[in-house]
Amino acid sequence: MAKKEIKGDWILGWPDRKRPRSEFYKDTEGRVVGSRTPFLELEGLITPTDAVFVNAQVQMPEPVHPEEYRFEVFGEVENPMQCTLEDVRKLPGRTVRAVIECAGNDADFFNYLEAGGTGAKPSFELSEEDGIHWRLSGKKREQPIADADTLLKTIPSTCMLSGGEWTGVPFAELLKRARVKPGAVAIRLEGWDRGRPDPILLYRSAARTDFKVFDPGVINYDKGLPIEKAMHPDTILAWAHNGEYLQHVHGAPLRLIVPGWAGNWWVKWISKIEVMNRMPDCYHQTHYFVSGKSPEDPDKKMMTALGVKSVITEPRDEDSPLPRGEYAIRGLAWSGEGEITRVEMSVDAGASWRDAHIEYSPDRWLWKRWSFLWQAGKPGEYAIMARATDEKGRSQPQTEWNFLRKHFDGIVPVRLTVE
Amino acid sequence: MKIVVCVKAIPDPEIAASIFRVDEAAKRMVPLPGTRSVMSPFDEQALELALRIRDALGEGSITLLTLGAETTRSIVKHGLSLGADDALMLVDPVFDDGDSYTTARALAAAIQRMGGVDLILTGRQAADGDCGVVGCGIAELLGLPAVTFAMDIVVTDGMLVIERALGEGSEIIEAPMPAVVTVSHEVGKVRYASLRETMKAARKPVTAWSAEQLGLDASELGTRGARRVLERLYVPVNDVQCEYMVGETPEELAGNLVERLHAARLI
Repeated sequence: MAKKEIKGDWILGWPDRKRPRSEFYKDTEGRVVGSRTPFLELEGLITPTDAVFVNAQVQMPEPVHPEEYRFEVFGEVENPMQCTLEDVRKLPGRTVRAVIECAGNDADFFNYLEAGGTGAKPSFELSEEDGIHWRLSGKKREQPIADADTLLKTIPSTCMLSGGEWTGVPFAELLKRARVKPGAVAIRLEGWDRGRPDPILLYRSAARTDFKVFDPGVINYDKGLPIEKAMHPDTILAWAHNGEYLQHVHGAPLRLIVPGWAGNWWVKWISKIEVMNRMPDCYHQTHYFVSGKSPEDPDKKMMTALGVKSVITEPRDEDSPLPRGEYAIRGLAWSGEGEITRVEMSVDAGASWRDAHIEYSPDRWLWKRWSFLWQAGKPGEYAIMARATDEKGRSQPQTEWNFLRKHFDGIVPVRLTVE
Repeated sequence: MKIVVCVKAIPDPEIAASIFRVDEAAKRMVPLPGTRSVMSPFDEQALELALRIRDALGEGSITLLTLGAETTRSIVKHGLSLGADDALMLVDPVFDDGDSYTTARALAAAIQRMGGVDLILTGRQAADGDCGVVGCGIAELLGLPAVTFAMDIVVTDGMLVIERALGEGSEIIEAPMPAVVTVSHEVGKVRYASLRETMKAARKPVTAWSAEQLGLDASELGTRGARRVLERLYVPVNDVQCEYMVGETPEELAGNLVERLHAARLI
């Protein structure tokens, strides 16, 4: 395998490996408003907090002091409540380990596979040049970016996922105390992040700009979670992440954790919880994060659980050509509907499949590491593929192409030459 | 070829502007707890250029030279990890609270004492104070040629061939050695520190000299030697007024915008 030089850093005063860290996107005050997870550089199952991707659909809000934090529970309940963080922390807790994946993660791979899977591949490598980084202001671009469509394509669609441990309380425990009335069908959670949804997000998602987008005006971010998912014991309100209090960029003091469902359901900075006897028409589930074949499709539906997915983390296309030898093919696999039970490998572009070894993990919502020992004895061109199956028997791919290119879970080959 | 790269530790320019404070009475920046010092990015460019020169020649030594307290050690370690061979730190309380002149005075004295230096590189300015005069100050004090805003340097037949960044392009000039060259940001991407070089850096020599070792009197340095008189230090207030254009149609909106820009003499 092509060897890259290991990066170095000074850690606790000692020369050491450089720890993977996100390349941050910052606002004019130097505050982080976005980042990607360098997941190819990580080991294990839990993404270190500093490397977890950051994403906000509307304006990142100002922080609130945890002691001054309040949120309301109201609507179809017999006991409306105003709660503090301490009130929530008194309830019986639960810790859940789960993958969070942005609905738009790997969107460009839809186009890649549609074009035959042989062209330029969207990269998993996070380039520093793509970050907004003033140190690189002198870097000359080979070709200046001339138009909006081209500029949109420079924003990486990859690396918006991470694995984490979330500590909080089952949402159902709180709802139990609010005494939900019969007939409730959805819980609308509202964050205090507020802003006017940027049409660029939709244009970027659809990879086209030739359609009109609905303008809801200035809104608070909200989602209407179906009550069945809200009552699932693993759906929690979390105040801690990876062993420490939640960071502001990840939704402190309290955010929703919806294992298996795309990141846009994991409402951050919760300010209101409204129990409803109908599905609300939140912008981010009626106009965005919806399925459909085109912007005009009358049959658009809100998207919820992720598909089933695997990614080959090693080797990568960039490692080609490889000398003949024995290689461990490694990767990660996860599903929106529970545990990964099988990962199959093909080294002949899908003509034949063999089972890969899945590392034991007790956490059904977290990704699993898998590996396959490949005897690359014959020179030639290889297309290596992984195919995951979950506990419900669902195999890749589950998600059809949709015009906003959400929930990609296709099988992406790694192309290698063995010499 | 012996290259000296002058480097300065500055507060991380990526800290949030909202937490930046100055003590107007004391005319100083308020130290920000929990924030780190980094090598001034222009100095990082100078070091990168020095490394490229050494790579191209296949020989040579690079010495980092810095003036400042013990806190600058982190940027020295960073520079050694990138590939510099050794470092000289000028550490003495009498250096404190100086200005560009006293900084140049101390650095020039150190370079003179080192001896045998062929090329002195500095960033074109420090990214905190943005004065941009220390490099030329060193050249003046040492009686050496000074070339500013370098974006590339090639060493040919004992001469420096320097590409200088201009507002709308660049020019190429030659200079004899020894010389002082200030480096602009157009050098481009700085290499990353490898683990191997970082481990080697832990064993690279770092020397510290005091003012006395430089043969300088305290009256020439720090507050006493400063020639700059700081009248006031403050964070400027950005009073932005936003005016929204109105119009019934996109054409009318655009027309109103053009009229407004004309009125403001912006177009």
